[in-house]
Amino acid sequence: MIRHHDGYIEFAGVWKKFRYGEVHNRLRDAIPSFARRLIGRREPGEGLWHGEFWALRDISFRVERGQALGLIGPNGAGKSTILKLLTRIMQPTHGRRLVRGRIGALIEVAAGFHPDLTGRENVYLQGAIMGMERREITRRFDEIVEFSGVSLFIDTPVKRYSSGMQARLGFSIAAHLDPDLLVVDEVLAVGDAAFQAKAFARVQALVQGAIPVVVVSHQLEAITTLCTHALLLDRGRVIANGTPDACVLAYLGGASARPRAAGDGAISIQAIQTSASVLDSGQTLTVALSCAARADAWAAQETIRVGVRSAASGELLFECSTDAFGMQFPTAGPFDIAIALQMNVQRGVYLIETYAWDRAMERVSFTGPSVSVDVREGSSFHGIVQMNADAQLVVRDERHLTT
Amino acid sequence: MIYDAAAHAATYARSESGPAPHGDEPGATAWQMLADVGRDMIGYRELLLQLTARDLRIRYKQSVLGVLWAVLTPLVVVLAGAIIKAAYASMAGRGVATVELAGLAIKSVGWTFFIGALGFGTASLTANLALVTKVYFPRELLPVSAVVTQAVDSSIGAAALLVMFPLLGIGHMTGAAWLLLIIVLLVALTIAIVLLASCANVFYRDVKHVVQLVTSFGIFFSPVFFDLDAFGSRGVRLFAMNPLTGLLEGARLAIVTGHDLATPLIGTTGAVIWSPAYLVYAGSVALGGLLLSTIVFRRASANFADYV
Repeated sequence: MIRHHDGYIEFAGVWKKFRYGEVHNRLRDAIPSFARRLIGRREPGEGLWHGEFWALRDISFRVERGQALGLIGPNGAGKSTILKLLTRIMQPTHGRRLVRGRIGALIEVAAGFHPDLTGRENVYLQGAIMGMERREITRRFDEIVEFSGVSLFIDTPVKRYSSGMQARLGFSIAAHLDPDLLVVDEVLAVGDAAFQAKAFARVQALVQGAIPVVVVSHQLEAITTLCTHALLLDRGRVIANGTPDACVLAYLGGASARPRAAGDGAISIQAIQTSASVLDSGQTLTVALSCAARADAWAAQETIRVGVRSAASGELLFECSTDAFGMQFPTAGPFDIAIALQMNVQRGVYLIETYAWDRAMERVSFTGPSVSVDVREGSSFHGIVQMNADAQLVVRDERHLTT
Repeated sequence: MIYDAAAHAATYARSESGPAPHGDEPGATAWQMLADVGRDMIGYRELLLQLTARDLRIRYKQSVLGVLWAVLTPLVVVLAGAIIKAAYASMAGRGVATVELAGLAIKSVGWTFFIGALGFGTASLTANLALVTKVYFPRELLPVSAVVTQAVDSSIGAAALLVMFPLLGIGHMTGAAWLLLIIVLLVALTIAIVLLASCANVFYRDVKHVVQLVTSFGIFFSPVFFDLDAFGSRGVRLFAMNPLTGLLEGARLAIVTGHDLATPLIGTTGAVIWSPAYLVYAGSVALGGLLLSTIVFRRASANFADYV
């Protein structure tokens, strides 16, 4: 294998076409298309035929060494398709894809395992599939087995392994590849909590190894921790491009993540304003909402809810409802609400979300605007919530006190 | 990271001096493609080795007779052929000569190699779908390693013959060079057919049935159980269309009969049982087929992940 120490990944106007349903179910269609493929003539700009769709539309990006690109977006956005193009499993329909260097793919890390072969035999097989040479595997064999934690079973056929053991062994092989480029897809969910932490640290070390990295994950925290850049994809298009925080925010706050509720509710939330956009942890944030009630609907059964979501993990940390404060909205006309939130959270970006909730119908009756705030270091603590701990010491036997 | 044209241009300038990046060459010519396949086969020889080792291990793991199967399979074909030969001989009122059985044995090893590789190789892509759709490597490796696996398997049967022939006083060393050429051509022909069959099998499951038919009945369309002169000149011409004819008959004539394959041979019925043209024909089909099937396979394999 030729090593490239200046590996890079580049997509230039890449399009990828897929088909719905069965492919080539009629021999009549298959023969001319097969013949065309043989001759090697593919008309560029070929339109979509019946049942075809674009899985990727005009995707361009470039990842160089020291950069880690996170791909985020809802299911069907095209993240996996990009990875399949990156790893050369698929070819783009149009556009140019340049991948320079040996790719280490932390995707389907146990795909090459054969159940009847032992762990040892599979390490060599999977290593070869990933492009490692025999000497290289032999040199790192002990390290791989040690990392996976299956040393005792290394000469047992992998069909007797648990799925977690298989995944751990697969991950270990892939993680010891010394690639020029790294592609990571959801493998951070391998094994138990202890192994996941170890795997995450390993990926982090690889990312910091100054090679180009592409990460796909629904764990948004992984993206914000590992990546230097991000792309937000939706239905095959890039809809945001920038820092991981900005893209995660756009994802969480955007139409793709929160479908607009039908506007038939009695109460609508027209504007949101916060007392600050940057504040310290522990400070109070006041959220001001401008709302309106429609005269012809029943406002009394609706409440307004305000939530705080972590941009790093996408997790909803807190939510409160106006009925808890005993608020009674007017039956018609505009009104304002102010909610004070004590931001006892770690530093990071948080999304303040709003919506109106119909208690009778038990549904979201209006999706309101959202806003992001940046919490800086204030009171320092470990964990995700500041519990304002207080402590007292009582010593039963004062003789043991050293003064 | 945001795509910009200047950086793009710089990239291409850089990639011209260094090793070529893995780009997409939709307009790659056939020759470029063949060169790519050749380079891949060398670059990925370790994986070819590992895949072959995997298939051999699996073949003999959890089987009572293990490696013995490599000898048993052609032996059963020889027995079947011996029964047919005995029937003919008894009708003609004579016995079955050892030479006849030796010829049958040599062709049986060739035939079992061919159908074994065909069956195993055709399924090689579909049996490894999980790999094909998830990891990149040159897809040719799967059918080629299936053929290599079968070749290793069949070489055990061939080695058995190599021991038996001198003990029985059969065989002509003069034919060894011809045999070597025939083995190379047989492997080339088998790889060519297996490449086509395995990739067609990804798109059309009909291929499996065709292969089953060839495995069961193909032997009657190839001169394995009988020698070419059994059918007269017309039959010989028909049989000669099968590229395996030149290879199987050639191997028998060169080793068992000790015939020099550069010269023609006229049988008792007046039919041309051997002509160097048979070998030339088999060779052109094998090598031409190998080139063609390599190109077809390369073109088709780019789309495997989309279709399966």
